Amino acid sequence: MFEGLQLFAAAIMGFMNFTSIFNALWATQLGIIIGMLPGLTATMGVALLTTLTFHMDPNAAILILICMYVGSIYGGSRSAILLNIPGTPANAATTVDGFPLAKQGLAGKAIGIATTGSFLGSVIGMLTMALFTPLIGTIALSFQSFEFFWFAIFGIVICGNLTAPKDPLKGWISGFLGLFVAMIGMEGIHAYVRYSFGNTNLSGGIALIPAMVGAFGLAEIITVMRYTKFDVVKTKIDRVFPRLGDVFQYWKTIIRSGIIGTFIGAVPGVGEDIAAWVSYDMAKRSAKPKDQELFGKGSVEGLLAAETGNNAAVPGAIIPVLTLAIPGSAPAAVLLGAMLIHGVRPGPLIMVEFPTFVYEVTSMVLIATLAMFILGLCMVRSLVKVLLIPRQKLMPIIFVLCVVGSFALQSRLFDVGIMIVFGIIGFLLREMDYPMAPLVLGIILGDILDKNLRRALVISEGSLQPFFTRPICLVLFIVTVLIIISRMPWFGKLFAAIKSSIFPKKTV
Amino acid sequence: MTEKTMARADFYTALVLMAFGIAVTILALQMPPVTERGQSPYSAPGLLPTLLGIVITSLSAIMFVRSLRKIGKNAGVSRGAVKQFFSEEGTRRMCLTILLCLLYAVSLGRVLFPLTTFLFVFVFVLVFEYKLKESFTSQRKKVLLAAVLALCVSASVTGLFQYLFLVNLP
Repeated sequence: MFEGLQLFAAAIMGFMNFTSIFNALWATQLGIIIGMLPGLTATMGVALLTTLTFHMDPNAAILILICMYVGSIYGGSRSAILLNIPGTPANAATTVDGFPLAKQGLAGKAIGIATTGSFLGSVIGMLTMALFTPLIGTIALSFQSFEFFWFAIFGIVICGNLTAPKDPLKGWISGFLGLFVAMIGMEGIHAYVRYSFGNTNLSGGIALIPAMVGAFGLAEIITVMRYTKFDVVKTKIDRVFPRLGDVFQYWKTIIRSGIIGTFIGAVPGVGEDIAAWVSYDMAKRSAKPKDQELFGKGSVEGLLAAETGNNAAVPGAIIPVLTLAIPGSAPAAVLLGAMLIHGVRPGPLIMVEFPTFVYEVTSMVLIATLAMFILGLCMVRSLVKVLLIPRQKLMPIIFVLCVVGSFALQSRLFDVGIMIVFGIIGFLLREMDYPMAPLVLGIILGDILDKNLRRALVISEGSLQPFFTRPICLVLFIVTVLIIISRMPWFGKLFAAIKSSIFPKKTV
Repeated sequence: MTEKTMARADFYTALVLMAFGIAVTILALQMPPVTERGQSPYSAPGLLPTLLGIVITSLSAIMFVRSLRKIGKNAGVSRGAVKQFFSEEGTRRMCLTILLCLLYAVSLGRVLFPLTTFLFVFVFVLVFEYKLKESFTSQRKKVLLAAVLALCVSASVTGLFQYLFLVNLP
């Protein structure tokens, strides 16, 4: 316990220098701007900066990426409040109460509440991360290939289920397509080249970062350019600093949303948007009947719940990255890729191989959170002008950065091609309601699934029994099956029939 | 997309995905078993791709059946609907964006990076801002602003990434 605190303090002290603070400030500010602009997401920001910082020292690069991640998830609340358009998908729940507050002339108050909620959410997530990451890391040391196989399947199924609420089938297809993408190129056991058709570039596999820059960058550029401009709500931005009483009267909502956000963030591939919606829904259900009526009409509690939930999901999503090498969200998937590029190998052995790294990441989240809070309350009026930049002037610049970023990693024009192919496919899939998060998670989990399935079968000599008899495997298998069954139409009817037979409706 | 258009899109996507899933499975089955090298048959490289091919085919088959139920016999797309899609302002903007991005990507490595970047940004801004019906003199400011923006972007990206971030440029 005390050793952990000492390591954490040492990690914070390590970042107390001009360069780190300067990096944290510009990366967070850039994150806020990227998050603010509808169409530019946290994933795209982190993916772009990964490629542009890979010459830097690992700690400096990862600090910049975490600042970008935290900043952009928060920054999305600005456009959610002022435009009624979430800057990133994570801020969709923020629009419900943020925009009505802005329409009532309380945009400044709404921005202040969102900033405080995001700050408190990040702090709760960070504390949970500091407490649980070493613990989960120790437990994960006992995991074998059988458990990792089920973790990968569970990740794809739950991610597909939650990111495509209208039609989970599309989420699952997206996830399995991602797993297939990971199969392209040389496999890790016999060095056999799969699906490359003699192309030397393809035999090296499809790199995650250009694929993600395409799926989240170019796809978004096309989407943004397709639709016409957005109108900023005409409102006076008054006092931004929130009154403590306005915030802390909802302390129960803050703690609840923080815990929910962190927990959902830690579920593989699910991410900040679901965390915000669940936190918002729970806050609405738990509110007093009088306050419930305000939800959707400018409720401070609703806004606070959504913003606390989505920012708490950021540290939450980093927990499985560090302990299992399985990302909790799409931006966390890029962060995982960045860690691998910089020579850090996240996973069960992290507490053995890089014992100080977990505390370094925790202190990076703390620095990012503080930078976000300070910058979030400053320069609000001047930053709003960024929202007025015409799309046709901004998008070509973003595309130039997408190209430079894709090319930078390996100096191959092939990666620029991959970015464009994934951009166009990503755009088409998105237009047809296929979520992108399972696809990305699939690309990350493909290798884990492939190696662990084959290793497990070799260990068990082809027997499937250990896949269902080991305790954690059994739990993951049952949960995965339940998730699939719960989305089948007949299950809903059966559930309703059982419910009505147990609790029959009273007739007068 | 309306529910009917989506069902139709699902129908055709499912067909493509089924064909894709079958192709993935066939290619995976052709991958060599590693038993001849004395390795365990369970470590064969085609094992997971075969399973993935089967799962993708099965999931798309479910989508195919479901979309078929929704659209009935009206699977065909009328010429009028295609014409309407391509005449929409959004479709025109989308196609222009893709085309300009593709042209820029193709020119990389063939034309000097700062020059091609300048041209891309300049043309991109003008394509979406310049109105052909209005005279050039009334839009001179737009053209000038586009040129200044393109020059700034080209110079700053080249300078910043090549000399500060030490990143190779195409």
